[in-house]
Amino acid sequence: MSKKFLNPADATAIVKKSIKKRRAKDSRLKLYGRFAVGLASCFLIFLFYTIFEKGTPGFFQYYVTLDVNFDKERIDPKGDLSDNSLFSGDASKIVNEALFILIEPKGRKEKKEAKKIISSGKDVRIAKMVKQNPNLFGTVTKVKFALDDDIDSFLRGYIKRETPENERRVNDNVIKFIDKLNAEGRISYNFSDYILSGSASGNPEMAGIKGAFVGSILTLFVCLLIAFPLGVATAIYLEEIAKKNKITEFIEVNINNLAAVPSVVFGIMGLAIFIGIFGMPRSIPLVGGMVLALMTLPTIIISSRAAIRAVPPSVRDAALGIGASKLQTIFHHVIPLAMPGMLTGTIIGMAQALGETAPLLMIGMVAFIVDVPNSVVDPGTVLPVQIFMWADFAERMFVQKTSAAIIVLLTFLISMNAFAIYLRKKLERRW
Amino acid sequence: MNLKNDELTKSINTVGDVFVKDARIKARNVNVFYAEKKAIDEVTIDIGNKEVISFIGPSGCGKSTFLRCFNRMNDTIDICRVEGSITLDEENIYDKNVDVVPLRARIGMVFQKPNPFPKSIFDNVAYGPRIHGLADNKSHLENIVEMSLKRAGLWNEVNDRLISPGTGLSGGQQQRLCIARAIAVSPEVILMDEPCSALDPIATAKIEELIHELGNDYSIVIVTHSMQQAARVSKRTAYFHLGKLIEVGKTKDIFTRPQHNQTEAYISGKIG
Repeated sequence: MSKKFLNPADATAIVKKSIKKRRAKDSRLKLYGRFAVGLASCFLIFLFYTIFEKGTPGFFQYYVTLDVNFDKERIDPKGDLSDNSLFSGDASKIVNEALFILIEPKGRKEKKEAKKIISSGKDVRIAKMVKQNPNLFGTVTKVKFALDDDIDSFLRGYIKRETPENERRVNDNVIKFIDKLNAEGRISYNFSDYILSGSASGNPEMAGIKGAFVGSILTLFVCLLIAFPLGVATAIYLEEIAKKNKITEFIEVNINNLAAVPSVVFGIMGLAIFIGIFGMPRSIPLVGGMVLALMTLPTIIISSRAAIRAVPPSVRDAALGIGASKLQTIFHHVIPLAMPGMLTGTIIGMAQALGETAPLLMIGMVAFIVDVPNSVVDPGTVLPVQIFMWADFAERMFVQKTSAAIIVLLTFLISMNAFAIYLRKKLERRW
Repeated sequence: MNLKNDELTKSINTVGDVFVKDARIKARNVNVFYAEKKAIDEVTIDIGNKEVISFIGPSGCGKSTFLRCFNRMNDTIDICRVEGSITLDEENIYDKNVDVVPLRARIGMVFQKPNPFPKSIFDNVAYGPRIHGLADNKSHLENIVEMSLKRAGLWNEVNDRLISPGTGLSGGQQQRLCIARAIAVSPEVILMDEPCSALDPIATAKIEELIHELGNDYSIVIVTHSMQQAARVSKRTAYFHLGKLIEVGKTKDIFTRPQHNQTEAYISGKIG
């Protein structure tokens, strides 16, 4: 069977015929790509829109302005401004009196209802104010107080007047009072001073994310401190120093597998080892950070190894050829060149750790903790766990707070990534 | 052939004079294996003091592998194994007690592709003296860098931009920078692995001229694909074929009166 070569004219004709088909294939592929990117952007825009639309109101809340009579005798009976003295004082009563002047409740029942309009943190607020500025004593000063979460939801329109009174969380009397306050221009909608500076609280109007935010920072700090040096060292050892044999191959395969292990498994391991065997306390950022470090290690190792492998061998040859020892070659040349890649991997790992909830639930970081942690051994929680907890609460106001917390988490994440990109651009060198 | 001055040598299949009087490096019955594959087969040769010798041969004949034995760069390849003995001034460089770091300071190397560090021109040349602690102070270091760049014929081109990156130079300049880097640590022998194969003819001419000059002070072993280059720069030439050293002799003789028929075939372009 002897096939002759086509003559050039025939070949050209065949090529021409197929060209149309090939072009169509090209443009179809382009179209699919554009469609996919478009769809993804739509989802992203929708996601951000809903989060910001729902979350922005979470940063604001309703306040009522009252004329408070700062009576020293009653607020600070011992006169030494100590917590004890202020606590035994009558601040709440003074605030209630200021409120009663405005809305004039009649009888015990109405007074009891009127008291509930203002958030229960009112005495704490008065105590804080006089501590900061003792000159307030003896004056009558306008002070803003957060409204109770039910009143807040009513003002936002989530609780409607049309609903029959017995199905409503705000009764007719209270609505009457609010209308009165509104008519006098006493109610205002302001940026919340609880959301960013407050901690976990059972009262939604006083709940804030400061505790969780600080907990997240502490946890990530521990995680970075453990995972980065350990991960980079492992990568360097496996890539540059270890002999390629069955054992290193086995280790490699297992590290790659670890990257795919569900994070909750690391939580169970942390619970068993750190808390069970070593007897560390629950709910502390130190244990949380260690668990997350275990989880991010494979990510850091894998990306660091890729970065090391991308360093051209000619650089290694050059250093070795001039008489640099292995260690000098690694530290003077390989690591500086691989650093941008290593940092990228680390930041990806950290971002993963920042958003992780499941393993932290396992080690008890889901506990209700009011105090902001001061160190890595103080009990605390983290942002995603706080979001998880708030999303579970019944009060309407927590819906906005949850979205607000998500916005804070996203901002944290985006700024971390931005920092990573900046760092990489700065360290990147061409060769 | 004067076999008597060396007991190690079992037999030599090489044509020509493998031994020289004032040898710095003596390779005796060197075998190199990549895993099970034999890449170098019983090679015996001397490298004389202040001598420029070129290794020629077709691709894959093992000339680069053999070159990398002299400064133990083959150590970096896990599966590579070297047998036989190579001595530098009568000291076996494959002895267990020999540290490769000072060895590589004594035997410098220039690679096929110019490979300056992604650092400044100054730091490129200063790196060797710095890690070996050759300079007493900053001005001494600057002096070494200047001398090295001058020896490499690069000083006039770069003296006003020593802080700019070495990777920003042209290919030929980069290669001369690599030569400056190698001579900055005052080596005794310089190994060159096809130093001009990535360069244009003008840059090549400059490097060849430089090799010629450096030959007055250093022993230079150069691996090359270009027979003209071997003829231009070296006094002695060794022809390798399939891991065997076929013929060694004065460059003039190898190119005009090759004794082995394989050498002749290669010289005349029949193999390679």
